[in-house]
Amino acid sequence: MTIENKKGWISWFNPFRYGTDRWMYSLHRLTGIILGFYLIAHVWETSHILDGPITWNSLMVFLDYPFGPHFGPFILSGVLLVAVYHALNGIRLTIVENGLMLPKPYRPEFPYRPKSLKGLNNVLKILLGVLMIIISAIGIYFIFTGVIL
Amino acid sequence: MQEIALKGFGEVLKTVTFRVRRYDPEKRELAKYMEYKVPVQMGMTVLDGILYIKEHLDHSVSARYSCRMGICGSCGMIINGKEQLACQTQILELNKDLIKVDPMGNYPIVKDLVPDLSKLFRNHGSVKPYIIREEEEPKSEFIQTPEQREEYAMFTDCILCGMCLSACPTNATDELYLGPQSLAQGYRYITDNRDMGFNERLNVLDSKHGVWRCHFSGACSEVCPKGVDPALGVQLLRQLLTSNSFVKYKQKEATKGPERKSVSGVS
Ligand code: SF4
Ligand code: FES
Repeated sequence: MTIENKKGWISWFNPFRYGTDRWMYSLHRLTGIILGFYLIAHVWETSHILDGPITWNSLMVFLDYPFGPHFGPFILSGVLLVAVYHALNGIRLTIVENGLMLPKPYRPEFPYRPKSLKGLNNVLKILLGVLMIIISAIGIYFIFTGVIL
Repeated sequence: MQEIALKGFGEVLKTVTFRVRRYDPEKRELAKYMEYKVPVQMGMTVLDGILYIKEHLDHSVSARYSCRMGICGSCGMIINGKEQLACQTQILELNKDLIKVDPMGNYPIVKDLVPDLSKLFRNHGSVKPYIIREEEEPKSEFIQTPEQREEYAMFTDCILCGMCLSACPTNATDELYLGPQSLAQGYRYITDNRDMGFNERLNVLDSKHGVWRCHFSGACSEVCPKGVDPALGVQLLRQLLTSNSFVKYKQKEATKGPERKSVSGVS
């Protein structure tokens, strides 16, 4: 008699001891789930426009000051970071999952560091980081000041 | 130089604690952890530690192993949170006083550290891991250049340890997923120029639980003890299948060598 030993969905969020790609996978899952909830909340929020201008305006004010002054922009910045990461990593995955920018089959040599997780794939990861910093900096600046850089 | 290398050889350098997950099918209890103190000498692997426990402390600890040299792929287990071959993991190199040993995940457990790998073998078999030809008995050899061999050679190093399936996060939730090992082997046979079985494998590889379920977390390549890089195989297979839906993929037919008069009686 055997017992089940499935790692289950909780192991999606266990990137420790594996490599960068595994970390990015966990983050991609996490940001995807957050974005899913955000989209539902967003539809619910904008549906209030049907209740007339007074409800709508008071909701807007509430969302700007949910827990004290100007907490709203912080939440919005968080959503921006999440969306930017998910989008950029999605583009990277579209590239590498189609076998592009990956090495050709090679001869494994001790100490057996996988080459598919390095090389141009690493260049893409660095590019992702740089783009993420630039886009989020512009976006967050806009959220807090209303000025596009 | 030699003296330094041999210093401490044969003497107990430190004592580490092994925390081993135990499950006894006859006792009708849940799995639990038991701790054992193991004196460590230079060169001792985790497998040696488990065998020490078996010999001196608790005879009922069970584990799979055979070759003790990283060839048979029997002794995969989760050591300090990462899938590793117990016979290839030096205790001193782990540099920890507590070593947590778990059986591989995503497989049913038979006892203690022994997983039931039949899922791995079933999936491996389902991609038809052999060369498929139309003719019944070949009359001549198939010619393969060294370059043609390089296209798939790295995937032949797989020792079927099954650690990639244990590390794979997709496999953790999708019971029917083929897994990196089988997908990489499917790629290995498709790109072999002697093989003609692309269409026969297509319905297994290009299915709901096939190659498209991979999310390229790279964990399989990270834990592979032979550097097979199954994640690379899966992505290349995906590239092949994607381009196949635009331009039909044609397997390179191997050129045949001179025909033999008679092959009977040779074997
Ligand atoms: S691909 Fe690597 S980790 Fe997976 S079964 Fe083969 S040798 Fe083991
Ligand atoms: S005992 Fe054979 S691989 Fe470890």
